[in-house]
Parts: sequence; C-alpha cells; structure tokens
Amino acid sequence: MYDIATDHAAALSAALITLVFGVAFVLGLRFLAARHVAWAARTTQAYGAATSITKLAAALMLLSGGIHLALVPGHEGITGVLFIVDGLGFIGLAIAAFFTTWWRRPAVLWLVATILAYIVWVIAGWESPDQVGIACKLIELVALGLLMRLANPTRRTWPRRIWRATAFPLMACVTTLGIWVGGLAHPDALHAHAGALLQPVADVATAEQQVAAARLLADTRASIARYQDPAAAIAAGFKPGAVSSADPLRHFENAANANAILDPTRPQALVYAQTTHGLQLIGAMYQMKRAGQWGPDPGGPLTQWHQHEGICFSPFGIEFSFETPFWTCPVGSTSITTPPMLHVWIIDNGKEGPFAADLDKAVQRQLTGRS
Amino acid sequence: MNRTASINNGAAEIASVLVVVQASFSLVAGLSAIPFAVVEPGFRVLALLTILIAAAMFWLARNLRRGRRWAWRWLVTLEVLSLAMTALLSLLPIGAIRGPVPVLVNLLIPLSILVLLAAAKSDARRAA
Repeated sequence: MYDIATDHAAALSAALITLVFGVAFVLGLRFLAARHVAWAARTTQAYGAATSITKLAAALMLLSGGIHLALVPGHEGITGVLFIVDGLGFIGLAIAAFFTTWWRRPAVLWLVATILAYIVWVIAGWESPDQVGIACKLIELVALGLLMRLANPTRRTWPRRIWRATAFPLMACVTTLGIWVGGLAHPDALHAHAGALLQPVADVATAEQQVAAARLLADTRASIARYQDPAAAIAAGFKPGAVSSADPLRHFENAANANAILDPTRPQALVYAQTTHGLQLIGAMYQMKRAGQWGPDPGGPLTQWHQHEGICFSPFGIEFSFETPFWTCPVGSTSITTPPMLHVWIIDNGKEGPFAADLDKAVQRQLTGRS
Repeated sequence: MNRTASINNGAAEIASVLVVVQASFSLVAGLSAIPFAVVEPGFRVLALLTILIAAAMFWLARNLRRGRRWAWRWLVTLEVLSLAMTALLSLLPIGAIRGPVPVLVNLLIPLSILVLLAAAKSDARRAA
C-alpha cells in the first residue's frame, strides 16, 4: 500500500550521504583537533561532552534535515519552501545541540510541528504517504522520544508524570493513525481499494484488446462450467479455502495449476459465492507465481491484474486486517503481498465488469445477502 | 531488589525509547485490528493479545530505565524472538519485508535495542 514515490527516491541516497558526511565530519574534526586547530578542538570538546542521547537525537535531526532538503526539487510551491525551512531548521538545531543550553525545547517544538504538518498534508491530500515520508516520520518520532527523555522535571506532580508517560505514545499513535487515514482517504490511481494494487495499463483498450478480453471471458466460462457442482471441482483437485465469517466468497485452489499462465483450461482457483441455496460458481481466478510478476493482459486495461499488499494475514484460518503505515501487524499475523491475480466473473458483475478486482457490492449483496 | 544502578545509563535510556516506539506501534496494530475483530472472531484474541503485549513493553521500558535486570532479560528475549521471526518471514516469498520502513521497524530497531542492551550490560559489569 505504501511504495516509494519516484520523486522521493533521491531522499534515500541523501540520507546515506548525510550519515557518511556526519561521520566523516566528526573524524575530520578529531584529526584537526589532534593537530591543535583551536576551533576544531573546541568543537570536538563540545561534542565529547554531550550525552549519548544528545548525540543520537542530533544525528537523527541532521538525517531528517538532509532528507527534507533532498526532497525540495520534487516539491513546488509552499511545500517546497517549507521543506527548505524545515531542513535548515533541523540542521541548525542539530548543531545547536552541542553549543547551546536552550536547544531542547525548540527542537521538541520543531519535531512536533513537522510531524503534525505532515499529517495535515497527508489527510488533506496535498502529499501521498510513501515509505520515504513514513521512514522520515519514524526518524523524527525516535528523535522526539529521545528529547523527551532529556527533560529533567523539577516538579514531579501526578499530572506531569502522567503527561510524561503518555505524551510520546500518544504522538506515535496520532502519527500512525493520521498517515493511515490520509492513505486510505486519498489512494493513488493504482489502488483499487485499500490493499489492492492494480497493474499499470493504458487508459483505453484497442479493438483487438476488446476482442481478446471477450474471448478470455468466453473461454473461461466454457472451461469452468463443469465445476458448477463444488464436488466436481474437489474431484478435479481444487481444494476448498477456509470458511470466513467476514467473506461470503470462497476460493477453491488447485496447486497442480500453479505453473499455468492465464490458461482458461487450468485456472489457479475457482470462486464460489456462499448463497442461501449453497455454493454457486461465480468465476475463476488466475494467479502468477511471484509477487510483482504481472501476468499477460490480452485485454489491456480491460484485463488488469491486481495484487494484494499490506494485509496482516493470520495462519489461524482466513483472518486478516490491514497493516499499519509503520508495517506492524497484530501479534500472530504477518504482513503479506500476494502474487498478482486476475478474476474473471462468469456472472453479470454489474458496473464493475467481468474482470474487476472485486465482485460488485450490489451483486454480492443480491447473491449472498451480505456486502 | 534485583537492580543494577549502572544499567540505568545512556544505552539503556536510548533502548527504552526505542522499546516505547515499538510498543506504540504494537498498540496501534492491536487497536486497528478491533474493527476487523467484529467480523473475524480470531482477531478478537489477536487484538487483545497485541494490546496486552504493547502494555507489557511500556512497563518493561519503564523498568529498564529504572535499572531492573528482569526487564533487561525480558526485553532481550522479546527482541531476539522478534528478530528471529523477521528473519524467518523474510525468507518466505510473501513480501513481508519490502522497502525501508519494514527494514527500519522490523530489523534495525530490534537489532539496535539488542546492541544497546548489550552495551548497557557491559557498562554495568565495568562499573561493578
């Protein structure tokens, strides 16, 4: 669900360069200090006197500053200007950590403002949450947590203690939920719904592609007609998937067909709807072997494959939820990305069409009584 | 009291912050499973278990800062288990680790915590 935006990829290199530069700078300072260069000796002394928490917090702010500056070329207008201000601010505060006594509070405010601004931008749809942005927020959250540990409260009253204990987890939760809401509210063009990534295709199907799509539908319908009775499918080697109270559709998979590629005579799975009269065959599912390996799409945009990603899957039956933007799942489940799949619905699938990633909600309600 | 004052040093402080970060993410993962738990009975148990583990991690982080050795031991066990699970999942072709965020959250943070816990322990030994 969260990929790396093309214009953000440079920030990953910038992060590595910033780290290498930081280490080289410290080593260079030590080298000069050993040769009695006065300013280098003073700086090395200030660096050496800082606590390990201060050093790490400064390094993380420096990293975030470098990432923000590297992102400027891909962001126009106010966002680009704010990235410059933010990046320079972080670098300034990282340096101030070693030479001033007042840096901590401005740094906390700067980090909180940056994280909240990102959440606002993402929820408003001005920025798409991607892995670079989320990784940057993770770095800032850790820096914030470190700075909050540096606080030395003089008055240990209960409200202050409770605030100190809950402020950081609250910030981490708000950040996670904010990014999540933004990502779900503004999915990019290739996300059919939360968790389904569509194969990139052309906008319009050619006449040949329309004919090929119609042929695939007809061939699939003719081929799987013999499996109207689930018992016939089981006899042919299709294994019924687990029953899920959340999903009224059941997939019967056939491992023997794993190597077939878009072969109507050997689909990887059959899809049945759990109706009040029993199981009703409603379509077939073709599936590739590996994630990211898109299958052939004879119908162009009409036969667009999709893969499910960012799903927390539990091996204890068909149980799933969505992973958080920080790639965490409930205990006992794990994030999975499925190999690409193409559904061919042999029943009238309403406005969604015969190759849609999902069964039309109205059709599903009519068939199963559930949406 | 089972306590070593010198465990309460910079390395332990940083490790406790990282554990709080992990616990916060676990808390959100547990809370986020609740809507799915309405229709997926199995997720009721997983959601509750995740929230309880998150709460336990907050508690362990607090006690690590206070220099408790049992907290140190529990955290080492948890992080080793977490790393082993991540290593196992990354070997499977399920796309569990894909991109910088899962690498940071599931590999780098647990590894950093283990290194910091080891550093805290060796500092404690040196001080003793």
